[in-house]
Amino acid sequence: MRRKLIITLTTILVVAFGGLLATLVAGNEPALGLDLQGGISVTQQPVGEFDPATLDLAVERIRDRIDSLGVAEPEIIRQGDAIVVNLPGVKNQQEAIDLVQVTGQVYLRPVQGCVGEGVETTDSTVPSSSDATGSTIAGSTDSTTATVDSVTGTTAAPGPSRRVSSTPTTEGATDTTAAPDTTDDGTDTPAVTDSSVPATDTTDTAAPVDAPLTTAVAQSDPTTQQLLPLRGGGQCLVGPAGGTGEVFNNDASPQIISGGWGITVGLKNGAAGEDVWNALARECYNGGDSCPSRRLAIELDGEIISAPSVNVPEFNTDVQITGDFSEDEARDLANVLKSGSLGVSMETVSVQNVSPTLGKDSLRAAVISGIIGVALVLLLLVFYYRTLGLIVVAGISVSSALLYSIISLLSRTQGLALSLAGVAGVIVSVGVTVDSYVVFFERLKDEVRSGRTLRNSAQRGFTGAWRTILIADIVSLIGAFTLWWLTVGSVRNFAFFLGLSTLIDLVVSYFFTRPAVLLLARTDWMGRRGVMGIKPATTGTTGTAAAAAGSAS
Amino acid sequence: MSDITTERAADAAVAGGGDAAVTHVRRGLWGRLYHGETAIDFYGRRRWGLTISAILIVVTVLSLFTRGLNLGIDFEGGVAWEVPAGQVTEEQVRTILEDNGVEADSAKIQTLTSDSGSRLRVQVGDQTPEVVQQVQADLAEAAAVDVSEVSSTSVSSSWGRSITEKAIRALVIFLVLVALFISWRFEWRMALSAIIAMLHDVLISVGVYSLFGFEVTPATVVAFLTILGFSLYDTIVVFDKVNENTERYAGARAPYADTMNVSMNQVLMRSLNTSLAAVLPVLSLLVIGSGIMGAVALREFALALLVGLITGSYSSIFIAAPILTMFKEAEPRFKNMRSQHATGVELERLVLGGSPEGHRREVARARRQASVTGAEGEVVIAAATTPEAVLTHPPRPRKKKRR
Repeated sequence: MRRKLIITLTTILVVAFGGLLATLVAGNEPALGLDLQGGISVTQQPVGEFDPATLDLAVERIRDRIDSLGVAEPEIIRQGDAIVVNLPGVKNQQEAIDLVQVTGQVYLRPVQGCVGEGVETTDSTVPSSSDATGSTIAGSTDSTTATVDSVTGTTAAPGPSRRVSSTPTTEGATDTTAAPDTTDDGTDTPAVTDSSVPATDTTDTAAPVDAPLTTAVAQSDPTTQQLLPLRGGGQCLVGPAGGTGEVFNNDASPQIISGGWGITVGLKNGAAGEDVWNALARECYNGGDSCPSRRLAIELDGEIISAPSVNVPEFNTDVQITGDFSEDEARDLANVLKSGSLGVSMETVSVQNVSPTLGKDSLRAAVISGIIGVALVLLLLVFYYRTLGLIVVAGISVSSALLYSIISLLSRTQGLALSLAGVAGVIVSVGVTVDSYVVFFERLKDEVRSGRTLRNSAQRGFTGAWRTILIADIVSLIGAFTLWWLTVGSVRNFAFFLGLSTLIDLVVSYFFTRPAVLLLARTDWMGRRGVMGIKPATTGTTGTAAAAAGSAS
Repeated sequence: MSDITTERAADAAVAGGGDAAVTHVRRGLWGRLYHGETAIDFYGRRRWGLTISAILIVVTVLSLFTRGLNLGIDFEGGVAWEVPAGQVTEEQVRTILEDNGVEADSAKIQTLTSDSGSRLRVQVGDQTPEVVQQVQADLAEAAAVDVSEVSSTSVSSSWGRSITEKAIRALVIFLVLVALFISWRFEWRMALSAIIAMLHDVLISVGVYSLFGFEVTPATVVAFLTILGFSLYDTIVVFDKVNENTERYAGARAPYADTMNVSMNQVLMRSLNTSLAAVLPVLSLLVIGSGIMGAVALREFALALLVGLITGSYSSIFIAAPILTMFKEAEPRFKNMRSQHATGVELERLVLGGSPEGHRREVARARRQASVTGAEGEVVIAAATTPEAVLTHPPRPRKKKRR
């Protein structure tokens, strides 16, 4: 028993202070939230009906953009329907808004020409036969923009073909595979193919426009001609949008189409769907001025997700896009189309600009006053419980060490940031933590007074107190978890830290306080001192009649 | 009521006399508190607490109806700028607002002071991003500082509404979960009492905000939620003791009020200690953090918490417990024992771990009588077996010797 207690005590001490040491050595420290560090926080939310995938796409877009600009430690959080982007250290508000503003709108824009993607399209007019593997060269080099191609298979069959296939090659493909795969002829009714092969080297192709290859962040402006980046490398000059993703039904799905991944999506009926799409498709199919490349770009927030060539002028109900997609790429494209089909738009609902000076002041104030507060509490407890109070001091040190290590670790791995509400949550939890000791010691006192030996009292006292602590802490945990799960912003941050502190309280109570007090209670020294002026009964001596007298009857 | 008073007078007499005989039973108030030997008749005084709370709640409700709550822009939507004060006057700010087509009359302008200088906070309704930018630039110019020194915060009203709705939904779910948990672990009456006490705390905290016109911000909501958590936590610790004593007294047919009184006295020191431990850090946040060091963000938070923590501790003893007692006394097994609860010396004996006498009030009365005349601590115990007591009631089984 004693051995076990010593082992437990040693273990928790090693874990807590070892963890703290490791944290300090590794230089981890809690990341500071926006309100403590200064910066800008932008919250966006979709308006109206939306597909859950929309939010994922938006988060991904925002992350891409922020990464491209190298903002330090950005925080992108999805909270329910909202996307909160925290940009610590960013001062220019407009810049920040431009950076993270996404609309979620999908535009269909005729492509003037592309550069840098290697080849695109080869056209395999050749029907069917083309090798699916795409090993054909198509040289990344030459084929500049344009051409479109192939209809696979039945190019000829433009007419009322039920489905259209366009084959965009993956853009992610390594250059070697140039292949425009013309894939699927298998499918009977293919119509549009777009095969853009991404070649890695951007240079060689003749750019249709010389525009700077790197634009910081492309903001979509659907009304004019723009040079936008193509996913997977390269850029395309696209004309004004001829339509939005709303022409499609919300049923885009990745499918295996004649041996490769592709997407099938339905068109809405009538003026809102087919008419718009067909007008665009016809334009591109004919390769007129507005669409010399015969490709149609699917753009989401300033990025061209795919630019398939149009292989038939007329579509009915379904559109098929095929190419050298991997499964993931097909799924991504399908998600983009799905989300675009709802015509959702993201709205910036809140912009908070926290000046760093204010943040620094707040932090210093919180830390200093927190430390003073805790010190006062400890003084009170040492004064009140004397020797046992020292255990509280040690216990709080263990808790703090654990808390600091865990927060630092989460900051590093999960991007958790400590905000003012979080700091306050931790300080508040001091009350709950201290209560565990108070409940335990008060019980211990009762047991001692009723005439038990200290050793016995400690054991019984803990059993009783643990029950209370457990119930009360579980209620706190239920609260913290509900809040964390269902709310946003500072409330959520607060709930997280409250929950974390409560969990640590449970761990420390069981693995530190219990063995520490039980072991202390076994020492002769403690037995002589008594608890708070009440002398415990000692097994051997009957001299302590006082203890018995304490409890009447 | 007069009955209680006389009893207390008797107690006082005992208290005075007993001191000499048995030193450890009789101490000063602090000594008794310190050693957990108080014998306060909480039950007999339940109306005090309920009355005070009723008054506070009436004031709160009145205030909510007449003054309402001062909701921050996070709930109503709007824009707020903060600019280092000094060069800028309120008049200039209003001019800037009007120049940009913002209605200046409804703008709230306050000065915030901190150790890093004072700042002007300007708050208006929903604006377009362009206006926000322009005003920010103009303010910076007027204050002769860099634009980045001027902070702006804007929240659309729909977002504000959705935050509020989320918080309310979270609250309802939280309450249901907690009620289920307490009902499962203890009993539904305790769940109900605990939740009533908690609503009482939140209501009073909200009342403070309404009465003093403090602005309600998301931090305030966090604070209200903490209050709610703390209030429940505190009540549960008290109820756990009650539950334990209920089991202990189950065989004795003691009035529920006794169980409650004994439990209250037994946890009193714990409640005081815990409340102090919880309040001290918050007080430190409020006085040192926000008062001396001027972190305004802390002030709102700490203030709501302080009020909540105090009412939280208060309500678990003065609201939750009496309400639970009332619920329990409606139960058949406690019904006929209403109005018979131990007070004074008898209560103290119970608090110190003695066995309850059950409903034999006469015995207790006889004992008290004896102790008053005897005026010695030991007599208290001796009195339990006076002939009268034995004669009027069948002898109790002797299992009473617990150790």
